[in-house]
Amino acid sequence: MNDISTWDIARNLLDGALWTIGLSLTAFILGGLAGLVVLFARIAKSPLPRRLAQGYIEIFQGTPLLMQLFIIFFGGSLIGLEISPWIAAALGLTLFTSAYLGEIWRGCVEAVSKGQWEASASLAMTHVEQMRHVILPQALRIAIAPTVGFSVQVVKGTAVTSIIGFVELTKTGSMLANATYQPFLVFGLVALGYFALCYPLSAYSRILERKIHGSRAH
Amino acid sequence: MALVHIDALHKHFGSNHVLKGIDLDIEEGQVIALIGRSGSGKSTLLRTINGLESFDDGCIEVDGERIHPHETDLRALRQKVGMVFQQFNLFPHLTAGQNVMLATRVVKKMPEQEAIDLAKAMLLKVGLQDKFDSYPDQLSGGQQQRVAIARALAMQPRVLLCDEITSALDPELVNEVLAVVKNLAAEGITLIMVTHEMRFAREVGDKLVFMYQGRIHEAGDPQELFANPQTPELASFIGSIN
Repeated sequence: MNDISTWDIARNLLDGALWTIGLSLTAFILGGLAGLVVLFARIAKSPLPRRLAQGYIEIFQGTPLLMQLFIIFFGGSLIGLEISPWIAAALGLTLFTSAYLGEIWRGCVEAVSKGQWEASASLAMTHVEQMRHVILPQALRIAIAPTVGFSVQVVKGTAVTSIIGFVELTKTGSMLANATYQPFLVFGLVALGYFALCYPLSAYSRILERKIHGSRAH
Repeated sequence: MALVHIDALHKHFGSNHVLKGIDLDIEEGQVIALIGRSGSGKSTLLRTINGLESFDDGCIEVDGERIHPHETDLRALRQKVGMVFQQFNLFPHLTAGQNVMLATRVVKKMPEQEAIDLAKAMLLKVGLQDKFDSYPDQLSGGQQQRVAIARALAMQPRVLLCDEITSALDPELVNEVLAVVKNLAAEGITLIMVTHEMRFAREVGDKLVFMYQGRIHEAGDPQELFANPQTPELASFIGSIN
């Protein structure tokens, strides 16, 4: 007989959701830092870092996240590295996030008008000074909304890590579904959990977008 | 020795030969009006003088600072050459005062108080001393352009380049900007301006340079050239705008 109560289900799912949040935050923060490196390589003056960054972005945008996780998880054990599902999941999502954020941010830098580059160059600023004082402050404003928007993709991306055995919300859900024979209830709650995490983020991103487009540029 | 010395300057945009051997000497304190039809190379010539456009052959010298084709280190040159753009290009995230101060702080490493005082003086010069804390989008087009002039002047350039600086303005705002330029000319600042304001070129200019198909077709005293153009191309250009 089934002696797992709905309360047990909810409590376990909440535990899983905490791991989803932890993984999302880790991937977003580390991926953001790595994304900065990708961004600066992508907009570098010399062609070598530009090409490397472009290749990096194309690899991670052109293959499924699941394959990236498989390669890290199974590839690690192949070369004798014992990689835990948590490390593999965090590493995979970090790389994935960095490639996307790097490319999103490059778009934001390029959205700053050419006249801003010319005006700051005419004032004898170096490339770094132009970036620091003129271009990045403007790109940052443009970047906030799409960056928050992309964080939704990271949260949903964490679900894929259940397949390599990382116990987050989705994995917790499938274990509970097997134990309770109530997949509809369990996965309904799982979906609700993701929605509760993602909806505020996408709503916030929309508000930010309106704010930036509707208000002054400062 | 001329302040600006341009010698046999050539530039191509792909297969398009846009500057076909420009020779031009500009003396300190002169006001040069560059005129010509669009595509004649006048804006390109102006932009080569502070390195916003590279060139393929010849050389440019400004106040002893010599640049060669495809020069990459333009900082020293740009400290001597200021530029004002058609689209103002103020930094929208900074106030008028911060726009004027930025390069003096960052490039010249001027102490903050000195930079503030200088920025205030420059804004006073363009009649906007009360707009120090206004952001660009709180200013009219004419005011923005005057801030842009103040920003260029704060670097104390030897030459100021003006690229059609009244073309993006509503007609009623043109005069306030021209009045500022006129004052600068009276103060003896060396000015090179690409302009469509022929009356202004005639009144304020010391020398008129008419460009036609990538060459200096005619150059000389504005009053004389307007009254008595030597070439049919200039005559037809003057005719087309009057």
